[in-house]
Amino acid sequence: MLYVVNHEIQSKKGHKMRSIASLPNSALLFYAFFTYLMLRITAQYIPIDTDVAFLRIKQEYIGMWHYRVAFFAHVFTAIVTLVAGFTQFSTPLRRKFPVVHRWSGWAYAAVVLLVAGPSGFVIGWYANGGWSSQMAFCLLAILWMGFTGLAIKSIREGDIAAHRRWMIRSFALTLSAITLRAWKFAIVAVLEPRPMDVYRVVAWLGWVLNLVVAEWWIRKNQR
Amino acid sequence: MKIDHLPFALLLTLFACNESQPNQNQTPAVNQLTAEQPAPAAQPTTDMYVGDFLAVDFDSKKNISYTNKITIAIESAANGVIKGFSVVAGNSRPFNGTFTETGNTLNATAREPGDDKYDGVFTFQLHRDSQTVTGTWKANDRKLGVTKRSFDLKKRNFKYDPTLEMEEADVMDEAGYRVQFYQNLSESEGEPDYAEAMTSDALKFNASKTLLRKEDIENMHKGDLEVIRNAIYARHGYSFKNRRMRYVFDRVDWFMPISTNITQELTDLEKKNIDLLKRYEQHAERYYDSFGR
Repeated sequence: MLYVVNHEIQSKKGHKMRSIASLPNSALLFYAFFTYLMLRITAQYIPIDTDVAFLRIKQEYIGMWHYRVAFFAHVFTAIVTLVAGFTQFSTPLRRKFPVVHRWSGWAYAAVVLLVAGPSGFVIGWYANGGWSSQMAFCLLAILWMGFTGLAIKSIREGDIAAHRRWMIRSFALTLSAITLRAWKFAIVAVLEPRPMDVYRVVAWLGWVLNLVVAEWWIRKNQR
Repeated sequence: MKIDHLPFALLLTLFACNESQPNQNQTPAVNQLTAEQPAPAAQPTTDMYVGDFLAVDFDSKKNISYTNKITIAIESAANGVIKGFSVVAGNSRPFNGTFTETGNTLNATAREPGDDKYDGVFTFQLHRDSQTVTGTWKANDRKLGVTKRSFDLKKRNFKYDPTLEMEEADVMDEAGYRVQFYQNLSESEGEPDYAEAMTSDALKFNASKTLLRKEDIENMHKGDLEVIRNAIYARHGYSFKNRRMRYVFDRVDWFMPISTNITQELTDLEKKNIDLLKRYEQHAERYYDSFGR
């Protein structure tokens, strides 16, 4: 699908905003590649096994049913939220198939608010690396649900500009699944720090920077 | 002869083979009477000698180990016949042969069975006064990487001691670099990565003595986890087939290879620690420097 450069759209409040739809195909290919990597991570957990991959070092928690439920719920649903990157930010797609935008949008919000967000909070509570990582992941879950909820509220009130702002923030946090891992890869390749030290850093770096970029993007496109 | 004395009498005859009997000139009847209170039979003891097994004739183009730690065990040496076994580089092989005695020195030539690719012939002197064994070994297969090795071993009794630990000197080499898991005689390019070397973290825990918690080891590099785990095996006298770990533990003074299978000897504490360490090693192996988690 070709993303045509289309710059100016009138928001409800009359601000001219540039749509994210001006992303070139290469960026989307990039995104598709990382989505594929995330799918491969998810695939490790099929068939369901409590002593595989990441769970190999979470054995002290898998005895708790709420941890098991939260972990597998998160692993199998959070990946779905990445699909929004393909469907929600394309202006031509929104124009031609607004129904797709709405249905995918509801699906995205439902997954985040009902499953992936709460389960993320639960497993974040038991995160590796101590209190700092636990705080990082729990805060991430809260903000993810908060922004998504506010985005739904905005569009139900008809405030498109606010809806876009909150969804940009929400999606910035969705992207943290990818950016956290990318940072980890880069930091280890360059500095070779101890494993939990890296983890404690990327637990924050993986999403806080995304929000900073999201804010910059929002402000930039409001002028 | 009473039937229930028969087993004792038979047992004693087993030990009669190589040892001289103190009451040989007594009549069989007297022997049977003394069988009621069996005298402590002279048990054959196995004497072990440990040291470096150095390459003397070798093909430097091949990927060889210039030195390995070896234990030579002499199970019996009587009537000109010598029997024993050697443990080195993950191989435990029996040998037997003949010997002569000159004063306080025993000169022996002993062959390994010959059905293993690495079998050969030992020629050595056992010096009773200095309690040492010196000699050479020649491979049967002249096409091997190393065809002749020499050794100068000291007598040592092996005893499992869970308190044995490595020291700083075992972790760093003479030049002050982290010990790499491989004897790299070619120029090494820069520092080895943390999966193929150890740091002083490897000294932090004795996994044969302390039950490890995940907080203890979750922030350690793979190389250190591997050394902490393999130190358990080393304490039991495990002879490493894995060249990397062999290189680490051959350098340690107290290390003495005596067996190629020590899994039955592991304590419950050690087994728990091994499980935990393996999990984190595996995690590091698969995820430390990759995108996935």
